[in-house]
Amino acid sequence: MSKTFNLPLGPVHVALEEPVYFNLDVEGETIRKVDITSGHVHRGMEAMAMQRNLIKNTTLTERVCSLCSNSHSFTYCMSVENALGMTVPRRARYLRVLAEEIKRIASHLFNTAIQAHIIGFKSLFMHVMEVREIIQDVKESVYGNRMNLAANCIGGVKYDVNGEYITYILNQIDRLEPQVSEIRDIYSSNHNVLARTKGIGILPKEDAIRLGVVGPVARGSGVMNDVRKESPYAAYTELEFKSFTREAGCVYSRTQVRLDEVLESFNIVRQVCKNLPDGPLKTPMNAIPVTQACARSEAPRGEVFYYIRTNGTDIPERLKWRVPSYMNWEALGVMMRDCAVADSALIANSIDPCVSCTER
Amino acid sequence: MHDIIKGNPHVLEGLEKLCTGKKAIQHTQDSFGNAFHWFLLDEPALIVEAAKILHDPGARLAMISAYAVRGDDKKFQNACYEFVLEGTVYNVTAHMDEQHPDVPSITPIFANADWHEREMMELFGIKITNHPNPRRLFLDEELDKGMLAKTVPLSVMMNGASSSELWEMILSDKGEKA
Repeated sequence: MSKTFNLPLGPVHVALEEPVYFNLDVEGETIRKVDITSGHVHRGMEAMAMQRNLIKNTTLTERVCSLCSNSHSFTYCMSVENALGMTVPRRARYLRVLAEEIKRIASHLFNTAIQAHIIGFKSLFMHVMEVREIIQDVKESVYGNRMNLAANCIGGVKYDVNGEYITYILNQIDRLEPQVSEIRDIYSSNHNVLARTKGIGILPKEDAIRLGVVGPVARGSGVMNDVRKESPYAAYTELEFKSFTREAGCVYSRTQVRLDEVLESFNIVRQVCKNLPDGPLKTPMNAIPVTQACARSEAPRGEVFYYIRTNGTDIPERLKWRVPSYMNWEALGVMMRDCAVADSALIANSIDPCVSCTER
Repeated sequence: MHDIIKGNPHVLEGLEKLCTGKKAIQHTQDSFGNAFHWFLLDEPALIVEAAKILHDPGARLAMISAYAVRGDDKKFQNACYEFVLEGTVYNVTAHMDEQHPDVPSITPIFANADWHEREMMELFGIKITNHPNPRRLFLDEELDKGMLAKTVPLSVMMNGASSSELWEMILSDKGEKA
């Protein structure tokens, strides 16, 4: 007769060094039910945002998340621009996309590397992290920082690139591309990787729709909801690029979607560098009305959504945001069911979780 | 009218019937031409019907933003439900007042409303009826509801942090004297 036991997992070192607690009901080695407890790093950031002025909040929102940091200040600025009825100059829109895609490349490669780390394939982990350093160097050289780029401001961008920088970025992309192609080949052919990722942690399409998951988690289950395509913003209206889906809904599918997206981001960066228009970098702020507005964008992990209410002063009456991980956590309940306990960290990592930004 | 306003005509018509107040409906768009629709429901209970109207054509619940509004020297709670359908955002707001102090859960219709509604309950103290899983989401059970709506003076927080209260509690639990 089978018996279910309760197994606590976490709150530290589940996949990343961020705290989340899983309460697993296990039958032998098999997970039967998952219950998630979070809130260990709730920072009250929305309350802080309602005590700062609109300009200061650009800096605050960039600190919601580390790997998606640019997407937060970017989407926040778009929500303010929507509230104030501002139109961002064309050059700034291109430069916003440049920062966003550079961050996407670094974020997806990081998640892919951590997957190798969890599998126990240490040499692959170190190799992917080493390749990622090429794009980290771009961030450090162009923006002066390896994590928070401080690229966005209300009405445009705070940085510019000249011909020398463009040549440097293009050279780095040329160095990266063959190496990332090779990494994708390893992840889709190496026996050790495939044995741990293919057919593991399945999220069926109907569950992906029911739970409203976003980003590579949705696209790995065959649900196409790329905000860049669905409601184009910034310079995405003028750029040609593809979005990728996979049907299997397993850990492998999600990884492949991310690696496909990294290669497509190279294409976007090249187009931005080639077609970068001349013109101003920002537009002045308009008067602040009493209104409400929202904005959304496609961060590396999926859709970021911002809502703002203004009351005529420079302090927002309400600023609320929803990060992609917030929508993806509940999907772990479906993915982990009937999987081995040993795969739980790998499956948790496959949603590219971010605890700090979920809890704000 | 709907041929110039971007959106699903069936959804727009359905939601319009639930919002008959003055200035209850607004249509906006951003500088890229993406459409945003804003609806203020006649009463909070209508959110269930609004959710059904949006669920049928395949809308996705993106977020729920709760916020406090002031009027006639009183504070009221609002909740703005943001849905996305075919690239268009539908914002449906429920206004809670003395006559209608609570709002029904839409988790039975949109499974992903679960976390949003639990967050509204714990941070804003909004009363949600019929929620299938009304546990705390982030905050500990010992903390009061509606923490985000309260102001805790820094001096109170600092006193708590620097006093010997906690240490004395631990000792008394162990049966020892401080």
